[in-house]
Amino acid sequence: MEAMTHGGGTVNDDELVVSEFLTFTLGSEEYAIDILKVQEIRGYEQPTLIANAPPFIKGVINLRGIIVPIVDLRIKFNLGKVEYTPFTVVVILNVAGRVIGAVVDSVSDVFSLTRSQIRQAPDFSGTFDTKYIIGLATVDSRMMIVTDIERLMTSAEMALIDSASE
Amino acid sequence: MTIDMSQFYQVFFEESAEHLATMEGLLLELDIENPDSEQLNAIFRAAHSIKGSAGTFGFTDLAETTHILENLLDRIRKQELGLRADMVDAFLESGDLLRDMLEAHQGRGQVDPKAVASICARLRQLSADESVPVVSPLHPADEPGPVEAGRNVIVGKRAFDIQFVPTEVSAKGNGLANFLDELRSLGSLEILNQPASDMNNVGYWQLRLVTGAGEEAFSDQIDFIAENGAWRVVEEKVADDADRDFGFFDNSLGAPEVDPGYGFFEPAGSSTDLASEAEVAAAVDESYGFFAPLPHVDGGIPAVPAALGEDDDGYGFFAPLPSPVPTQHVAEEGDGFGLFEPLAPPLVSMGAIEPVSSASVSIPGAIETKAAAAASPVRAGKSQPGAAAGAESSIRVSVEKVDQLINLVGELVITQAMLLQTAAQILDGAPERLINGLAQLERNTRDLQESVMSIRMMQISFVFSRFPRVVRDLSSKLGKQVELKTSGETTELDKGLIERIADPLTHLIRNSLDHGIELPETRIAAGKNPVGTITLKAYHQGGSIVIEVGDDGAGLPRNKILAKARERGLLVSDQMTDSEVFNLIFEAGFSTADQITDVSGRGVGMDVVRRNIQSMGGRVEIESMVGVGTRMTVRLPLTLAILDGMSIAVGDQTYILPLSYVVESFQPKVGDIKTLSNQARVIQVRGEFLPVVVLHELFNIRAQSNDFSQGIMVVIDADGIHAALFVDALIGQHQVVIKSLEANYRRVPGISGATIMGDGHVALILDVSAIAGMAKNSLQKAG
Repeated sequence: MEAMTHGGGTVNDDELVVSEFLTFTLGSEEYAIDILKVQEIRGYEQPTLIANAPPFIKGVINLRGIIVPIVDLRIKFNLGKVEYTPFTVVVILNVAGRVIGAVVDSVSDVFSLTRSQIRQAPDFSGTFDTKYIIGLATVDSRMMIVTDIERLMTSAEMALIDSASE
Repeated sequence: MTIDMSQFYQVFFEESAEHLATMEGLLLELDIENPDSEQLNAIFRAAHSIKGSAGTFGFTDLAETTHILENLLDRIRKQELGLRADMVDAFLESGDLLRDMLEAHQGRGQVDPKAVASICARLRQLSADESVPVVSPLHPADEPGPVEAGRNVIVGKRAFDIQFVPTEVSAKGNGLANFLDELRSLGSLEILNQPASDMNNVGYWQLRLVTGAGEEAFSDQIDFIAENGAWRVVEEKVADDADRDFGFFDNSLGAPEVDPGYGFFEPAGSSTDLASEAEVAAAVDESYGFFAPLPHVDGGIPAVPAALGEDDDGYGFFAPLPSPVPTQHVAEEGDGFGLFEPLAPPLVSMGAIEPVSSASVSIPGAIETKAAAAASPVRAGKSQPGAAAGAESSIRVSVEKVDQLINLVGELVITQAMLLQTAAQILDGAPERLINGLAQLERNTRDLQESVMSIRMMQISFVFSRFPRVVRDLSSKLGKQVELKTSGETTELDKGLIERIADPLTHLIRNSLDHGIELPETRIAAGKNPVGTITLKAYHQGGSIVIEVGDDGAGLPRNKILAKARERGLLVSDQMTDSEVFNLIFEAGFSTADQITDVSGRGVGMDVVRRNIQSMGGRVEIESMVGVGTRMTVRLPLTLAILDGMSIAVGDQTYILPLSYVVESFQPKVGDIKTLSNQARVIQVRGEFLPVVVLHELFNIRAQSNDFSQGIMVVIDADGIHAALFVDALIGQHQVVIKSLEANYRRVPGISGATIMGDGHVALILDVSAIAGMAKNSLQKAG
């Protein structure tokens, strides 16, 4: 069998490579993450507490037989009001071979962004370290923070993974 | 037609490994003085099967080594050579080497070609010893012919009569056409008989091929296109046929002169040197015994049936059939197999054939062990995967598939429990039929879960079978006489546990051998039997599997252990109980051996043993008496996947406490709990002061009450450490499916895993050993 070959040249990668991003809000800020890392989106349910875990780790839930830890990004980054309503959303992420749930205020949209649309973020100091930020993107005068969710979730400060296994 | 053989490699590796294991087991069981011919035959068959499939798959190194091994085995089983201990050693070593080769072919490790050469030389040497041709009494017929004939085979043109019935798939597809092309490329092909044109090539084919190649050039392919076993290749003599040396199954049903056994495996009677003989044997053998030698019968010599059985090397395709009248014989045989229907008289069906002279006919596919065990002279070997699959009642399935099945069934159980709970909550009471249906569902799911879990269960003999070898090798190395007794080999436990228990058990046995069993002189001096005994026992007890490793050796020297412990600065006192003292040997780096041998004594090991066993959720205990012996008892849960647990409530959370750790529970009275230096709390239970672990404090949960008299104390026993766990309430007892918390999260101190409860919520499983350890530490800090 011959391998299928794609036609087309390499005019400008930045213009042509389009990735899709899921955006969600934390407080008044809008974040975008690579949609390929998202497994599903579901409502919030009360998780089972994990003893002596940091406050932003809400516990674990049963996702069709898999034990999935739930992280509340609002607590972690100190954004928005932390309340759990029937509309609170959990984004189930598939990062680094693990399944992790992230609580966000709401999920807004899916955007296609080319690489050139993502601008370098200025250096700033804050709870949200710039090393997890790929850049900033503007669509319809809304600014989105494009986040490297995999790097963030596997980082030591999230305490989701045994340090030994890193 | 090319067939990608690599897809079958894995099966070959597994099968060969099994054959090697069988061979080793049988070798160890062999009574050297008086070997059981049944066992010898079984060993031979194992070696032969490996050789056959190794050759088919093109692993020539394996095939060559096994071939030499097989030659020697063959001579032993024919009683041409006496079995000696050094032979068994050589066999075991070559078995090891073959295993290495298998590993190497799978990309693990390397084989030292020198070792291969040396073992081959050794086997040849053994085979050459006392190899002066002893004319086998079983083969009175003269045999100068066969050797020549064998040489003939290698040179010159040969004609083959090929008969087969293709499978429907290959007949209708390209398989058959490709095969015919292939044959044409080998030499001149003549189609003698083919099915009617409206049959789509399905049916009986007969071809005649004159070629310079051997039948191995095409026999594999016939096997692939033909119906299971429904083919045969018969070599005819070309042109100047003097004697029909090779007319095994002449299609003219009645070749009157059939050569006696062909003498392929006939070392005897010839003045030829061994090497050339082996060559001939090898040359012919490459066809993997597809046609077994036909007995020579001159008016029914009584010895023939016996001779036959021994000689039969076949895969059971064409089992030899001794018959007093050769003409009839061939005819019967052709019919007997019923493979070539066009030839078969309609009256004779496979089962209806009366075996001539009591030898059983082996029918491909249906043969196997029964025929072999029946002590009938026909030795129905197996090895052709197709034929074997029909007879063996097992299939190979990857562990992943089984695990997936287990997971799904686990889900089903949870869903079922959820349904049951929902039905129970219906206010007016659910309709009776729903309740009954749900009850039925519950029973069915439980049964299903049990059966699915049992797929993963394996007999512990899988592990035990390796120990005779360990004991044998070690005892000879240490100059000790040891007998290994095993019992309860059929006890089943989870495959995951089986794999992980092997190393700790090996270590315990080595330890018993090295430290436990004394040297024969010492034993005699102590008035004991010079032969020490190591017993290996497995049985079920409650919800766990118990494996005991016992020896009747010197026992553990309590004083020596205490002295060593003091030397190493461990906290010990003479008041310690025996079990506490003996447990010291599990401390890292602890060894009482006076000198370090390459067997043991470095003090690494026992701590690893205990750690391994604990990581499986098991524990190990020691009992010992000086001069009488030592017994190590390993307790393991039945399976890694399911746990008997007690669910407990702390605040609004539910936790699972593994039931095996629970000793008792009671409601404490106010004032029962005392504090030590105002920090640690203890409670007196039956005269013993136990540290109290308050679970809601440990886990930082808001409890229903802080009043001890409102809650429950659960006394736990984790590896000898007792503690009292304070919880809010006991909820019930469940069998829970253990889920890993670490798969998506990380280790949590005090938690060993998670499970899903009937309502779909997650409950965490407490790590009792860790909690008991915390309790002990806090007590030590306070004390």
